[in-house]
Amino acid sequence: MSAAVPVEKKRVAAKAEQNANGHKRFKSMPVRLTGTARKPAIAPEGTLKAGAAEEPAAPAPAIEKAPGMGEKRQVSFVQMLVFELRVRDAMTSPPITATTTDSLRSIQHLMKAHRISGVPILANDVLVGIVSIEDIINALDGGHINESVEQWMCRKIVTLRDHFSLVRAVAEFDRHGYGRFPVLDANNRLVGVITRGDITVCLMHHLERRAEEAVAKEATLVATRAADEKAHRIVINTDVKSGDFESAGKLSQRMREVLRARGVAPEILRRAAIIAYEAETNIIIHSLGGRITTAIDAIKVRIKAVDSGPGIENTDLAMQEGWSTAGPLARELGFGAGMGLPNIKRCADEFTIQSELGRGTRLQAAVFLQKADTRL
Amino acid sequence: MKLKSATKLPALLTAVEARPLTDLAEVELSGCYISDLLSDVLANAQPGVLWVTIHVHRNVVSVASMKDITAVLFTCGRKPEAAIIAEAAEKGIMLLTTPMTTYEAAGKLWKAGLR
Repeated sequence: MSAAVPVEKKRVAAKAEQNANGHKRFKSMPVRLTGTARKPAIAPEGTLKAGAAEEPAAPAPAIEKAPGMGEKRQVSFVQMLVFELRVRDAMTSPPITATTTDSLRSIQHLMKAHRISGVPILANDVLVGIVSIEDIINALDGGHINESVEQWMCRKIVTLRDHFSLVRAVAEFDRHGYGRFPVLDANNRLVGVITRGDITVCLMHHLERRAEEAVAKEATLVATRAADEKAHRIVINTDVKSGDFESAGKLSQRMREVLRARGVAPEILRRAAIIAYEAETNIIIHSLGGRITTAIDAIKVRIKAVDSGPGIENTDLAMQEGWSTAGPLARELGFGAGMGLPNIKRCADEFTIQSELGRGTRLQAAVFLQKADTRL
Repeated sequence: MKLKSATKLPALLTAVEARPLTDLAEVELSGCYISDLLSDVLANAQPGVLWVTIHVHRNVVSVASMKDITAVLFTCGRKPEAAIIAEAAEKGIMLLTTPMTTYEAAGKLWKAGLR
């Protein structure tokens, strides 16, 4: 029969079932897990049905769609949290417990004293049952409140493992409708009790902490920027592509605009521009691509050109005027005079070059902005 | 002997039968530099000169701008693309083209008083 069902229909049917389940399970979650309907994100569901004790690794959910404006970040944040946080992070531990020989009346007092609505029952330190507030009401109603726990406790217990994720815990609450779960560790020892309230408190607590961290990080960023501004520091990063002759000069153009706006003398400006331009064209002509970082402060402009290979075979030779390995296209465009590196060196107040075959080249040059003498 | 009037751009136009590609201003040139190697121009050209070259690539404009070169004369009738001409105009670099070879143009410019 299954062979007769078109594949597409089967898929649709399966999806509908999944949606129904998902809706049912998540309907009363404090934070809706919208847009996490990707397979890895709902993996706990499959294991729920099997009732397996081992939980699959829950990857961070991918956010496809978030409800409402401005909620996106926060929801995704909570989503991350419910996958990250474990039952042991949220549970009340150690739990308030009683033994099988205790009376229901004493349990009633325990509940009142600790403001709880369920008490796990232990026999020789092993979890054997649970008494909920409902059992107490029934006992009061039925007149057996002074009898021992043994014959009235609920023995059919559903437990959670302390390493379960909170998203799985929430799913279990939705699935069973219980107000609390005893929590067992890997050795089947009772280590805590978890309620929906515990999960909410835990999430709020972590959200608050993350928010504080974010505020602190922002403050650091602002401080760094302020320090940069005070030092009049500007950093321009530019990726340079191999063979991209059309873009040559764009970086040095930007750098010149910044320097000109700062009233740097034309000669100094020109030297810095030539270094940036030659470094840029070197990467375009000779390398597989690289990056140029230009850092300008009140004292000097630093130009760092790093490429990802192939490296210069002989830097001493490359530093000689007229020596060039530029290809025919570069030469056709007027490059490959064999003057690039010598030009850079001549224009720079500080200059270093390191190159390793197969690794790449790292060129660093600096020009002091205040110096009056001109080299070109 | 330097003829002051001859070092001004429009006056030199006729000497090399050049055609302007951008608007020309009445500017005095500080001299002339001839090279088809960009790095050579970067290293050796003085600001304010007329640069004579056969290259019509965008990088000519970049180099000219970097060296504060006043004007570029393309020889052998070469002419850059419209976008490059527009870029030069935007950067305040004047562009001209002449049907003469670089050698011929150099001779005429020298004769006209551009030293």
